[in-house]
Amino acid sequence: MSTEYGFSFDKDKCIQCYGCEVACKSWRNAELGVRWRRVHSVWSGRYPDVRNASASVACMHCADPACVKTCPVDALAKRPEDGVVVVDRNKCIGCKTCLKECPFGAPQFGADKKMQKCDMCSSELDLAKGLPPCVETCPTKALQLGKMDRTGKTSAEKTILSLIDRPRLGS
Amino acid sequence: MTEKKNKDQCLMDRRTFLKATGAGVVGAAVLGGFPFGSLSLDEAQAAAAKENETMVPTFCGMCGPAGICGVYAFTKNGRFTKVAGMKEAPSNMGSLCPKGQAAPQWVYSPDRLKYPLRRIGKKGEGKFEKITWDQAIQAIAENLKRQKEKYGPESLAVLSPARRTYADYMYRFLIAHGSPNYGHSGICVMQRAFAFHYTIGDWPQADYPDSELVLVWGRQPIYSGPSQESARGYVAAKTKKVKLISIKPSMEPDVALADMWVPIRPGTDAALALAMLHVVVNEDLIDKPFVEKWCYGYDQLKDHVQKYSPSWAEQVTGIPAKQITEVARLYATTKRAAIDVGNGVEHAPSCSDTIRAMAILIAITGHLDRPGGNLFGAAGKMPKPKSVHLRERYTQEWVDKLVYPEFPKPFQPFIEGTSSAYYGLFDSVLTEKPYPIRTIIAPGSQALASTRGSKRVAEALKKLEFYVVADVTRTADMAYADIVLPVATPYEIDHPFEVRGNWIMARNRVIEPLGEYKSMFEFFCDLGVKMGYGADFWNGSMEASMNDQLKPFGMTIDELRKHPTGIKYDPLPKTYENYESTFSKKSSRMAGGPYLPQKKVAIYNTYFKEAGYSPLPEWREPPESLTGTPELAGKYPLILSDYHTSNSFTAAWQRNVPYLREIQPNPTVHIHPDTASARGIKDGDWVRVESPHGWIKMKADFYPGIRPDTVMVLHGWWQGCKELGFEDMPLFDGGSNVNIMYNTDRSKAFDPLVTAMASQTLVQVSKI
Repeated sequence: MSTEYGFSFDKDKCIQCYGCEVACKSWRNAELGVRWRRVHSVWSGRYPDVRNASASVACMHCADPACVKTCPVDALAKRPEDGVVVVDRNKCIGCKTCLKECPFGAPQFGADKKMQKCDMCSSELDLAKGLPPCVETCPTKALQLGKMDRTGKTSAEKTILSLIDRPRLGS
Repeated sequence: MTEKKNKDQCLMDRRTFLKATGAGVVGAAVLGGFPFGSLSLDEAQAAAAKENETMVPTFCGMCGPAGICGVYAFTKNGRFTKVAGMKEAPSNMGSLCPKGQAAPQWVYSPDRLKYPLRRIGKKGEGKFEKITWDQAIQAIAENLKRQKEKYGPESLAVLSPARRTYADYMYRFLIAHGSPNYGHSGICVMQRAFAFHYTIGDWPQADYPDSELVLVWGRQPIYSGPSQESARGYVAAKTKKVKLISIKPSMEPDVALADMWVPIRPGTDAALALAMLHVVVNEDLIDKPFVEKWCYGYDQLKDHVQKYSPSWAEQVTGIPAKQITEVARLYATTKRAAIDVGNGVEHAPSCSDTIRAMAILIAITGHLDRPGGNLFGAAGKMPKPKSVHLRERYTQEWVDKLVYPEFPKPFQPFIEGTSSAYYGLFDSVLTEKPYPIRTIIAPGSQALASTRGSKRVAEALKKLEFYVVADVTRTADMAYADIVLPVATPYEIDHPFEVRGNWIMARNRVIEPLGEYKSMFEFFCDLGVKMGYGADFWNGSMEASMNDQLKPFGMTIDELRKHPTGIKYDPLPKTYENYESTFSKKSSRMAGGPYLPQKKVAIYNTYFKEAGYSPLPEWREPPESLTGTPELAGKYPLILSDYHTSNSFTAAWQRNVPYLREIQPNPTVHIHPDTASARGIKDGDWVRVESPHGWIKMKADFYPGIRPDTVMVLHGWWQGCKELGFEDMPLFDGGSNVNIMYNTDRSKAFDPLVTAMASQTLVQVSKI
């Protein structure tokens, strides 16, 4: 059974403080306008029975990543050892096909027009020993990272999809 | 011992993680050697060594009153690069909010003031020349000496700063100088402190951990310290299935996590509280033994609240009478129930009565200082640092000289010292009654963006003889300043130490000041010395000041610095039902005596009656409202109010920080989609929001979680962000500064007891 690292998110604990989003930018020195991680606020129902929930979304490093399959120049790969989806920016031609296919809107494009995204901070730390700043800074532990198998990964993806797939406004 | 604790913590968190992610998680060594969630001192040191960086343990410096989160700040080649939450800090326990994470951008902002300035153009023109700190201090001191001689020391006022750990230094300066005019009010906290103290002797806090039900009333437990106890405790309560009932006009993220939302019209909380009293009294849902033994004036209350029925309150608050009754019954009949009251109720002409009514509600339903209710403060084993306040010098003359008392003179000084209403200081400049304030020092306070009535404040600033602005970045009103002083960020200074609960820690310098900066404390010390008050200002030495304050700890600041994560003391075990001691607690007022005249809950308040105020809490309409001024509702059919705080900015500051501005790039108005559509407005359209007092330009943000008869905006918009290409916005009509929108007529807009100003008016919204 293969295991990999993955994010999990609990909407009942997220306070929409955006700490994760800014920790990501600050620690990775993100260029302006680029959001590797993004907090979504989503609505359902109708006033006064309206509901609001949130989702902190970055690249989910999917069990079966659509972006890897669709990239015309094979710039994307899912690493077998930890499940992290990585981009080879030397190969990327900036065609944005990955963005079209990604259900999470994760691929970002900055000044150099090449794809960039969350790498789980695997380029900065040993995931067996440390955690990325987005997870570290979360005041309520709504966002977590750990090892999970394929079923766990798929379930984490579904959790996020069920949140961000909703129309922004109540029906 | 510490190591074991970390390991346990790690194991516990891992179990939580396993539970959260369900069956898919495998393997035991999920988290490796690092404790979950944050950096400890050892880890921060290791991280810095690995990257060839320097690490400094200190405090976050990005917000005001909530403040005091512990951080590890990293520098590389002398540049401040990033921040991690300090796991050992009991306040934030390793987490940090976005403001804390974005600190380096604030420190290196192109908007920072660079050197002291002296005005050379007209007031408001913004023409300055560069001067030295010595010249600046000299100019301020000469002016203050001259005015003191000619008009008396009370002609000086100092505005209350957003960063409140400054406050006692400013009181010290004012008292050494001889002025009672510390400018505070209508912003935050003191309204609650005053009404609670004079009704039940103390301000008891909601006991979330032991409660079964909490009314979260006008409170923002998340934005008021996202990485601290309030947000953590709120989410923990939700996890424990505590019933959370949220009372506020719009569904903010905390409401999203609540069990019930009571969408109230802005400014009508007193009507709701009085109607809840009506239900509780008429249905006899009271704790009779407590009322008989510890309350004064229950019978008068019984008669008094008859006019405030739930069906009356429905008309005023917009909340169905049925829901009002339901909430009142739920609160009164749940044994362990608390009220967590926030700043949202503090900006209305009846705000003091709202809080008095809540205090009475807590008391008569038997929820005061009992487990799960509202608890009086618990002491700890930590000594108290010696105060830098000089309150022992107050005499009645001090109170008599107040230019526009924040609280009525018979109740001065209150717990922070003597105070005048912030807006009232500016008002006195124009009316010259009872005398004009002639110098105002604004130490980290932006009068044009902070208080209501910006247009009139600007008139006052034009007329004011001498205005001193001391801040980190440009401020909204600096163009009116005679002297501008560039202040160091908390990351560039090594003082003051901070105390929070049972924890004390030294502040350490992360980087050398990037310009000609002094701290706010050094400024007041230096000015004190130049004025001839050197003996009161440790002859200008902050080190001597801190050593003086630390005497009760038996240590010096250097010794405190040897504890990189500070020192924690144990709390004393909580005891309950401390009625006798609390109800007889001595008041801070000059007349002395207890806060409670009968040493009982002051339902009927004889102090207030003697001073000419209502002895029982009453309903007062906001200056403009749907029920109070129906004649305006044709032209202005919607209620406007503003949010006090947000997740991304501290008051009117930090719009210049790119990572924060990206979260909220534009000034928006939260508007219900139906309300917008009826006006042909689409999501994201720029709209004109117009009240009888002015108009602002905002971007429509379709917000399904807001009352359709209400629109809300965030206060404090004026500053641009150069890095993102956002220009400054006008401060008056056509800008986005909500403070121009409100009525400032003293007889209508002010709470009579606490001088809080209304942040409600009526508006029309139209597409531009």
